[in-house]
Amino acid sequence: MTSRRDFLRNGWKVGSALLAAAATWTLWESLRPLSTNTTSAIIKLGSPANFAADTATYVSEGRLYVTNATNPAGAQLFALSQKCPHLGCKVPFCTSSGRFECACHGSVFDIAGEWIEGPAPRGMDRIAMTLDGDNLVANTKDVTPGPDHGADQYFSEPKGPNCLGKG
Amino acid sequence: MTDVTTTEESPTGDDGAESRDALEPTAAYGHDGGISARVQRTDAWRSVFRHPTNDTPRGRALQSFSNFFLHLYPVKIPARVLKLRYSFRLGFISAVLFGILTATGIYLMFFYTPAVGSAYGDMQQIKTGVGFGELVRNVHRWSAHLMVLVVFLHLVRVFYAGAYKKPREFNWVIGVILLLLTLGLSFTGYLLPWDQLSYWAVTVGTDLVHYVPLIGNSLQSLLIGGDQIGQPTLLRFYALHVAVLPATVVLALSVHIWRVRKDGFAVQRSSVGTFSEEATTVPGTGPASAPVELYGGRTRVLGVVDRESVTAADRPVDDTVFTWPHLIVRHVVVALGVATVVLAIGVAAVAPLRGLANPNLTPEPAKAPWYFSGLQELLAHFDPVIAGILIPTAAVIALLLLPYIDRNPATEARHRKVAIVIFSGLLAIAVVLTVIGTFFRGPGWEFIPPWQHWYVEL
Repeated sequence: MTSRRDFLRNGWKVGSALLAAAATWTLWESLRPLSTNTTSAIIKLGSPANFAADTATYVSEGRLYVTNATNPAGAQLFALSQKCPHLGCKVPFCTSSGRFECACHGSVFDIAGEWIEGPAPRGMDRIAMTLDGDNLVANTKDVTPGPDHGADQYFSEPKGPNCLGKG
Repeated sequence: MTDVTTTEESPTGDDGAESRDALEPTAAYGHDGGISARVQRTDAWRSVFRHPTNDTPRGRALQSFSNFFLHLYPVKIPARVLKLRYSFRLGFISAVLFGILTATGIYLMFFYTPAVGSAYGDMQQIKTGVGFGELVRNVHRWSAHLMVLVVFLHLVRVFYAGAYKKPREFNWVIGVILLLLTLGLSFTGYLLPWDQLSYWAVTVGTDLVHYVPLIGNSLQSLLIGGDQIGQPTLLRFYALHVAVLPATVVLALSVHIWRVRKDGFAVQRSSVGTFSEEATTVPGTGPASAPVELYGGRTRVLGVVDRESVTAADRPVDDTVFTWPHLIVRHVVVALGVATVVLAIGVAAVAPLRGLANPNLTPEPAKAPWYFSGLQELLAHFDPVIAGILIPTAAVIALLLLPYIDRNPATEARHRKVAIVIFSGLLAIAVVLTVIGTFFRGPGWEFIPPWQHWYVEL
C-alpha cells in the first residue's frame, strides 16, 4: 500500500512534470510564428503571352520564376519557387543551358523544375497560378512540393554550356 | 582553538586593529607608515578585504576563503595540475575566450539594433564611426571562431586522456553540451551582420532542420520565425545570442568547473595500475604504507582501476600546492597570452562584411560556417535525412553516451586501443570533411583546390 509520504512525493514529481510540459507547450505556442497573412501572397504576373516558350522569367516580388516549358505534348506555364529544395539557396536559371543550376551544391533542374541531378531530394516547389481575367496570378502561400526524382516530363538535353563550369 | 581568541597587542598602537584577523592573530597589515599600509589598516579597507595578504600557508588559504573569485578554485591543488602538458590549459583558454566574447559583445551591443532595416548599417557604422569599433568587432569574430576550435580541441584532449571515465562521466556530458552551446552561440551570432555571407550561411544552416522527420518544418519555422529568413529570424537569433545561450553557458560552465574541482582536476595519467588487496588499506587501520593482509595473506588482483577512483583519504597528502599563487599566476599569464593573441589577430585581420543581405541573389558558393562545412560536404554525397539528421544526431548521442558505453576503467592509451582507434577514425573523417568543405569547394560545390581559387570566408 502506498504510504502518504510516497503519495505526496510522487505527487510532486507528477506535478512538476506536468508543469514542465505545460511550460514547454506554452513556449512552443508563443514562439510559433503566426500566420503571415499580413503580407500579400497574391502576385500579379501579367498576360500569359509575356512568357515565351522555353524561357524563365524571374519575379523578385514573389521570389519565383515563371517558366514556359514545352514538350511534344505542348506547352505549360509554371510558377517555381526560387528556393532549392535541397538547402534553400536561390537557384539561378542558366540561359545558355536552359536549366536551373544551383550554385550551392550543384543540383540541376529542367525548365519545369524537375530534378535532373545533384543532391536535391525532389524538383523545385511549384506555386499555384490561376488566370484572373487576362492576367496570371500566383499565390505564394499555396506551394506544392516539387515532383519526385524521375518525373522527366519536360527533360531535354542542355541547349549549350552550363553555368557551373561542370565538364 | 586558543589562537582564535588570542589577540595581539598592536605594535603600532592602532587600537589593536591587527587582532581583528582572528583566524591568524599574528597576521599583520603593514606596520610602516606608508600611505598604502595606512589605507589597508582602515576599517573601510578591511570591510572589503578581511585578511592581510600574508605569504604564509594560512595566509594563502585565507585569501582563497575570503575572496569570492578565488572561491572558484580550491585552496590547494594537486601539483601535477601546474604542468602545461597536463591539460594544455584548453578548458581555461575556452573560458577566457568566453570572457573576451562577453566583454566585446556587450560593447558592440551599444551600437547595434537587431532590425533588418538597420543591422547592416549599424555594422558599417561600427566599422567606421565607433571608437575601436572595427577592432572590437574583429576580436569578437575571431575569438568566436577560436572558441569553437579550442572547445573542440579540449574535448579531443579529454578523450585521449581518458578523463571522461568514472567519476567524470557527467562532467563529460556537460562538456559536450557546452560544445553544442558554443556552436549555437557562434551560429546565432553569424546572422547578426545581415550581410550576404551571414544571410546565406544561415539559410543553408537552418534549412537542414526541415529534414527532421515529422516535426522538421515546424521546428524550422520555430527557429527562423516564419518560412524564410527575415526580421523574426534576426530577432530570435539576437535574443538567443545575447541572452539565452550565454546564460546557459554560464550555468553549464559553473557546474563544469565545479565538477572539475570536485573530481580532483585532470586525470593522473600515470596512475593506472593493478590494485590488489595486498596494497589496499582499510581506513583507520594504519598508514598507506602498511598493507593489510586479508584472506590469509593471499593476494588477488581485483581489476585495473584508475587511481582517481580511490578515495581521497588514500591519496598522499603532500602532493598539493597552494592555488594562490601557483595556479592563479599561471592562469593570469595564460589569460594575458590569449588576450594578446586575439588582439593581434584582430589588428592584423579584418572580419569580413560582404554586401547587404539579398534574398534574391545567392553568392557562389554559399557555404555554411566552417564548423558546419563538414556537414555540408556530407550533404553533397548522401541523402539529406542521413547526412543532415541521422549522422549528426548519432554523433552527438554517441558523444553524450561515451562514458557510459566505454566501461573500460583504464586511462592509458595502451589499455584502450579499440576506443582510441574508433574515435581517431571518426575524428579524421570529420576533419577531412571539414577541410574539403571549407577549402576545396567552389561554385556548384565543385572540387576546386584553394591554390586555384580561394573560396574561404570565416
